[in-house]
Amino acid sequence: MRHALTVGQRVLTQLRKDRRYLILSLIAPLVIIYFLNILLQEMPAPVRVRYATPICAFIVHFLSFVLCALILVQERMRGTLNRMFVNGFSKSAIISGYVIGYFGLATLQAVAALAETIWLFNLDFTTEVYVYLFLVIWLLAIVSVMLGIFASTFARHEGHVLPFIPLIILPSMFLSGMLVDASELPRWAELLGQLMPLYYANNIIQELIQPSYDVGSVVWNFAVLAGYIALLLLLAARTLRDTE
Amino acid sequence: MLRYEFKVCHREWIIGSLWRKNSEGYTPSLPSREGKKESEIEVTKVGFLVRLDHLLRLNTLGLLTDPTIHISGLTKKYGNLTALDAVNFSVSKGGISGIIGPNGAGKTTLIKSIVGSLRPTSGSVSVLGLSPLKNKSALRQRIGYMPQDSALYEDLSARENIRFFGRAHNIRHLEEKITRIIAFTELTGRENEAVHNFSGGMIKRVSLACALIHDPEVIILDEPTAAVDPRLRQRSWEMFRQLAQRGVTLLISTHLMDEASLCDRITILRNGRVLVADTPQAILERGRSKMIVKKASTITEESIGSRPEDLAGALHRFGLDPSVDSVTIQCEGLEEIVLSLINREEA
Repeated sequence: MRHALTVGQRVLTQLRKDRRYLILSLIAPLVIIYFLNILLQEMPAPVRVRYATPICAFIVHFLSFVLCALILVQERMRGTLNRMFVNGFSKSAIISGYVIGYFGLATLQAVAALAETIWLFNLDFTTEVYVYLFLVIWLLAIVSVMLGIFASTFARHEGHVLPFIPLIILPSMFLSGMLVDASELPRWAELLGQLMPLYYANNIIQELIQPSYDVGSVVWNFAVLAGYIALLLLLAARTLRDTE
Repeated sequence: MLRYEFKVCHREWIIGSLWRKNSEGYTPSLPSREGKKESEIEVTKVGFLVRLDHLLRLNTLGLLTDPTIHISGLTKKYGNLTALDAVNFSVSKGGISGIIGPNGAGKTTLIKSIVGSLRPTSGSVSVLGLSPLKNKSALRQRIGYMPQDSALYEDLSARENIRFFGRAHNIRHLEEKITRIIAFTELTGRENEAVHNFSGGMIKRVSLACALIHDPEVIILDEPTAAVDPRLRQRSWEMFRQLAQRGVTLLISTHLMDEASLCDRITILRNGRVLVADTPQAILERGRSKMIVKKASTITEESIGSRPEDLAGALHRFGLDPSVDSVTIQCEGLEEIVLSLINREEA
């Protein structure tokens, strides 16, 4: 645990010192949400509400995944990952440290993106709904960090991360029910969509934005997102290699 | 565990016996004669006779004690490419051991196998009696590793980098230790600057400090002086010598032949195989020297061995002849000797 905290602290210090990276990861989602608002400005209010929060969640999901995967690949390329192993940091300490480090960034991203979405789209929900919306975006961001760590284990350089974007991230945009209800998709596409974490995040969001929402009906989706975190943690621990 | 006993029986020759520890305690054994000249060691039924100068050399090579690093039949293949081919190699406790070889000789592969970041295709590696793959956590507290690349966090300061790698180990009074190591590596005054502001030489020193922070018994340095200016290179070797004098075992890889003479023993790698392993002096003695004698306007050139006795024998023939104007000795350097060894192997 001590080693995990050491890695987490180092990741946070790096994030704090790398202003460009920090600004990019916090400002980029805000800019995209601003453009989204312009795009949907003339749409009826229910349509704006239908798309605003899921797309906000998707942006956080996409950026958390890409930025975390890239940073870990850089660790491998610069030899610091190998040096950490030789110095006695275990695989679980490194992965947990990254989760701790990005936990802070994911929280900031989720808070900033959601706050801007609420403000620009004039969303009017109860405090309980805001808390749940934050929770789902935050859980999705943690899943994305885990997915980034997992994907980075297959990459030898930054370029190897790129194929994961059309392979994992972009299909989830189309198949998760975010743009079109999943039930309207062909059966095979709907089943494929159910493999993606964004599907469950979107299910929760679509329920929460209804005037007569029922959190109990989406608890299962929260559980699946938590399950994704545990599963990806195990997968990342198995695939992260400490020897060549 | 090995134990040697020696008795002087002649001013040049020593009688020795070797005791090897097993489950029944120490039992008498005989040393291996592999790679030793007949004139240097004679194995008998009661023990072995060894020449005094050879005994001293064996001691320097660490062949009289359990090696700190022992590699046996180490092979690493990447597909069809054999990076290491049945390498046998030992490093004794203390002193500086060099792994010398051109780029692509297998130095980094060998070092990565020693620190446990590479799984060999076959063969075994033992460091301080531990396997780098099976006893990772125990071993990693006792070895320091400076990779060929800087392997530092460039956004962090020198102090933050050293602190981060120091926290991997159980170090008491870490901050004081960091200050001391910063002073030793001559980073004082710039320790709070981000590493990306540093020159190549300073980055190497930060990397060295990270490898030294936990007072390791064995330090493994992969090309620590590559791309470093001559003055800093000299200073780096002074640091390595200071560490060796404190009893630390250093294993240093380099492709610079002139650094070989700064080591106590060297192993020359070529195409993943050990070409030669000995003390620099012993390797120099394998070379040939050219003696040019100027005598009454005639010049005689003669090829002789590089050992002092070869030179003495050659000079003896000229006696104290007053007509000898000058004697010039041109000795082969390590680089030339190694090149001739390579040519001989290829032939």
